[in-house]
Amino acid sequence: MILLLEIKKLKRTGCLPAFLGGAVLAAAFPLLNMLVRSETFTALPGEPFRILTDANWQMMAMLNILTIICGACMIYHTEYANNGAQKMAVLPVRTYQIFWGKFAVTVLALAGMLLFEIAALELCAMHWFPDYHLQLTALAKNLCFSLIAALPTIILMMLIASVCQNMWISLGIGVILVFTVSVFPKENLFLSLCPFNSPYQTLALAAQNGSEWIFTLICAAETIIFGIAAFIFDNVRRYFL
Amino acid sequence: MNFMSLIGVELTKLRRSKIILILLAPVIMMWIPSIVNAEIHFDPQGISITPEYNFFIQGFMGMAWFMIPASLVICTVLLVQTERSHKGLLKMLSLPLGSAKFCLAKFIILLLLAALQMVLSIGTYYLSSAIVSQLWNYNFILEPLYVIPEVLKIYVSAIPLAAVLWMFATLIQAPVFSVGLGLASLVPSVLIINTKFWFLYPMSYPFYLLMIAYGKAAKGIFETEIAWLPWLPTAALITVTALAVSCIRFGASERR
Amino acid sequence: MNIIETNNLTKTYGDFTAVNEISLHIQKGHVYGFLGPNGAGKSTTMKLFLGLTQPTGGSFQIDGKTYPKDRVPILKTIGSFIEAPAFYGNLTGEENLDIIRKILGLPRQSVTDALELVGLTQFKKRLAKRYSLGMKQRLGLAGALLGRPPILILDEPTNGLDPVGIHEIRSLIRSLPQQFNCTVLVSSHLLSEMELMADDIGILNHGQLLFEGTMEQLRQTAKANGFPTDNLEDTFLAMIDDDNRKRGQIR
Repeated sequence: MILLLEIKKLKRTGCLPAFLGGAVLAAAFPLLNMLVRSETFTALPGEPFRILTDANWQMMAMLNILTIICGACMIYHTEYANNGAQKMAVLPVRTYQIFWGKFAVTVLALAGMLLFEIAALELCAMHWFPDYHLQLTALAKNLCFSLIAALPTIILMMLIASVCQNMWISLGIGVILVFTVSVFPKENLFLSLCPFNSPYQTLALAAQNGSEWIFTLICAAETIIFGIAAFIFDNVRRYFL
Repeated sequence: MNFMSLIGVELTKLRRSKIILILLAPVIMMWIPSIVNAEIHFDPQGISITPEYNFFIQGFMGMAWFMIPASLVICTVLLVQTERSHKGLLKMLSLPLGSAKFCLAKFIILLLLAALQMVLSIGTYYLSSAIVSQLWNYNFILEPLYVIPEVLKIYVSAIPLAAVLWMFATLIQAPVFSVGLGLASLVPSVLIINTKFWFLYPMSYPFYLLMIAYGKAAKGIFETEIAWLPWLPTAALITVTALAVSCIRFGASERR
Repeated sequence: MNIIETNNLTKTYGDFTAVNEISLHIQKGHVYGFLGPNGAGKSTTMKLFLGLTQPTGGSFQIDGKTYPKDRVPILKTIGSFIEAPAFYGNLTGEENLDIIRKILGLPRQSVTDALELVGLTQFKKRLAKRYSLGMKQRLGLAGALLGRPPILILDEPTNGLDPVGIHEIRSLIRSLPQQFNCTVLVSSHLLSEMELMADDIGILNHGQLLFEGTMEQLRQTAKANGFPTDNLEDTFLAMIDDDNRKRGQIR
């Protein structure tokens, strides 16, 4: 029920169209890349899907992260702008359920985005690499991996947005985090597991390093840890307000 | 009232907004990895660049590509939300004040905040280059006569971008769209910089100038001369158009 | 002499008419009470006067000036308080007023003066977002009174105040024309309140002006139309009710 309510609250805030817009922009990347310089990529050796993700996923993942940041800021802004959060706090629901509701909405929205983007990559692969055939299991695996890789980022961003009542502060923190991880060295496994950095990882890359299971497990663990942090914060927030 | 005191008024409105912290955090963040991994600057990986230039360029790279434009986006949110959250704008519009003047004053504040961030980034650059010089016993510190004009150029090149982002903020009522559009438009600037049409895309201007500096410091990386000609008139046109549009549309939804 | 005059002023939003061809006559030095149920178009009319929204038909004159030609000169003569209080939450009450003062080009003293008038002096250093509803209301009022403008437009200024506050603000408004030689346009949905404040009255329902005149004229009109007159609140309710019924028949 909370989930439905949270979806309802997003009516006319532009959040869901924003997620869709993010997905369209991200999906446009491989398409444009192939339209403009397909011969550069078709000449490369290796698996077509891998070639495409190597060439485009950095940008696409960054767009996904930025969309998550905007989405999280906006979702909580609708709570704080006209004191909706205060009303929620005096209703007989647990406020952390609201947090989980919002988290679930964002995860669903991101799953939709990822599906759209991976489908775009698959279509590009099928169109420009004649030998390539769609493998639904691979598609599903990629989707799940990318979604799990994004979970720590989503939950941490939701936590930040729920703590800061001024939208520019949560937006600022989110953007600074994106920036900070972009200057991290890329090869380090430990750093690549950080929230805001893990969504750049692709299944193919992780599998090559043999770290796909560690990666998935640690991302899941991070999500749980931030979830607990959100729960604790929810219980102590009254002392700060 | 004259324009200068209007800017004074606008500065008052930023009190207790914590914006300085938001501007300061990235300029500190940008140097920490550079300090921790300072030894990589001795290994330019086949590019002929001296460690001190490598340190400066690599440090400012993320700044010019992402953080300066993103900070501008955050500042536009700050400016717009400060006016909207308790209907301050409604009060302002009922005072005897031209709304175009008001809009321009806010744009100047945006530029002042960006200037503040540039000053902070120069400060943190000297601090971190001094630290690295001590650690590695090698002089990483570049002359202010080189650093300050380079940063100033990057700053000036961000003005058209600031105007466009300010236009987004005044035109688009839902903050999620103006912010989303602003942030999303930064992502492809790395690709656009390598095309012939980079000068049509204000988001890539600061990065372009940094790449020119890179090209000068390391032969063969990028062009070394700024292509003033299609760029300057285009940039001026973009700036003027964006400002004109935002001045006309400023406060339009409050005046419905 | 009329300081504010409107001529068939109209404002529509899509197919909804918020203000329907109203012609008001507000005399200089009077307190003009603008009365009507919620959503009758009082705030919209006031917003039109302040140039916060564009009329879709008709015109108005304020102190001989017309909108949109003389927007800034008009605003220079008006102190206003519209709808929910508008302020900057991150600033103190005093800082909020100081912003308005600077834009109006007034001396520093005027802020102290306005704070004193509305009784906020002891809370001037508190952040406006921490103000209670009544204090926010007083802050908005102080912003309107700043510099003692010749025309005051106040939209439901006693909303959210406690009985003592209502009384205080009401007496303040009542005394303004004599004290500062100004004209006040004040709106409310309570006739009993208007009775104590206003010299003239305009009653608005569904965007249309049902009545305009002095309190005495209102009593006479009511009597002529067979509305109850012993209690003005009942008169008002009967008038609105009658108008709503007529509208129902048209529909």
